[in-house]
Amino acid sequence: MSDAADVQRVLSGDVDAFARLVDRYYERCARFAVRMLGNRDDAEDALQTTFLRAYRSLGKYQERDKFSAWLYRILVNQCRSIAARRNQRERVFVREEAVLLNAPDRRPNWSGEDEEFVQRVLAELDPLLREAFLLKYVEEMSYEEMSTLTGVGVSALKMRVKRACDRLRARWERIKDE
Amino acid sequence: MSDELDSLDPYVQWIAGEARRSVAVDPAARRRLLDAVRSQPVPRRRGRVFAWLLEPRQLVLPPLAAAALAAGAVGIGILGGLAIHRDGRPSTAQPFSAGVAISQLPDSITPRAMKFVLIAPQAARVSLVGDFNGWNASATPMTAQGAGTWTVFVPLQPGMHTYSFVVDGSHFVADPAAPIAPDDGYGHRSSVVLVGGSSL
Repeated sequence: MSDAADVQRVLSGDVDAFARLVDRYYERCARFAVRMLGNRDDAEDALQTTFLRAYRSLGKYQERDKFSAWLYRILVNQCRSIAARRNQRERVFVREEAVLLNAPDRRPNWSGEDEEFVQRVLAELDPLLREAFLLKYVEEMSYEEMSTLTGVGVSALKMRVKRACDRLRARWERIKDE
Repeated sequence: MSDELDSLDPYVQWIAGEARRSVAVDPAARRRLLDAVRSQPVPRRRGRVFAWLLEPRQLVLPPLAAAALAAGAVGIGILGGLAIHRDGRPSTAQPFSAGVAISQLPDSITPRAMKFVLIAPQAARVSLVGDFNGWNASATPMTAQGAGTWTVFVPLQPGMHTYSFVVDGSHFVADPAAPIAPDDGYGHRSSVVLVGGSSL
């Protein structure tokens, strides 16, 4: 059943149809939230609020928009709000990061499986750069989709993605030289 | 997209690849979410006319027209929502008749009976939700007074409260005659009412 059909069923009173939408997008949204916010508690908060907000606002959803893009717009805004609200905790996290960075660095394991390392290097990026990088290379969106979702122009988004890649590459160079 | 990925630095490509791995999801969190969803009113698509009537909108008026409208603002307030005096105090604010004990309390903590009014001719039912009733849509039903007018009296402590109307169990509607509260994080617009005590 398509997203649009499920939305229609929810609006007709079938709450189980919303469970299907949750099933379809929960893991993908969870991945973005965890990568963006850096911890599972905040990510769970973001998911909870995003899906609830989507449910309550479903009457305003316009079928000409892709449901996934509409949902992602809510998720991205929610992640931004949570990151801003928990700025204090973020600062503590940054201090812990500084301790970690002074410790002998862990080299990336090229066979994969090093989620902690990936979270750490992503967390070092400025949130707007991280958001652009994740939308482009993890969620595999086009710049046009990203622009619709974030309200930021395509050229500015390209610049953010480029800067994110440059910083990640510079990070790697630093590891190699140590 | 794969071309764009291939052109990335191998290290950046590796980070992107690792970040694309799915993350472990707590099944209990998903259950909690669906429980929360089931506790919400069923969403409904707004009819066009209904949506137009309820949608908050900005009016740009020439200064003369604005002055004329300002002179009649009391009437608009009574029609659209909470009745408000020209000095900003709610016209219906009276000490809540909850007995002698309350009337002896200092004025700043005496609850006041506030009248909330919404004009919604097409609504089958309307309720009031706010920070004072835990945003519970079934806690404070409003009474139809005829001609599409819905009212309810609620005792409120002095201070600032945020509230909204719930029309037909699913549409959250801000009071068109009251200031808009900051975003509640759920995409709904709420209104603000300031209940005066002696210190307010």
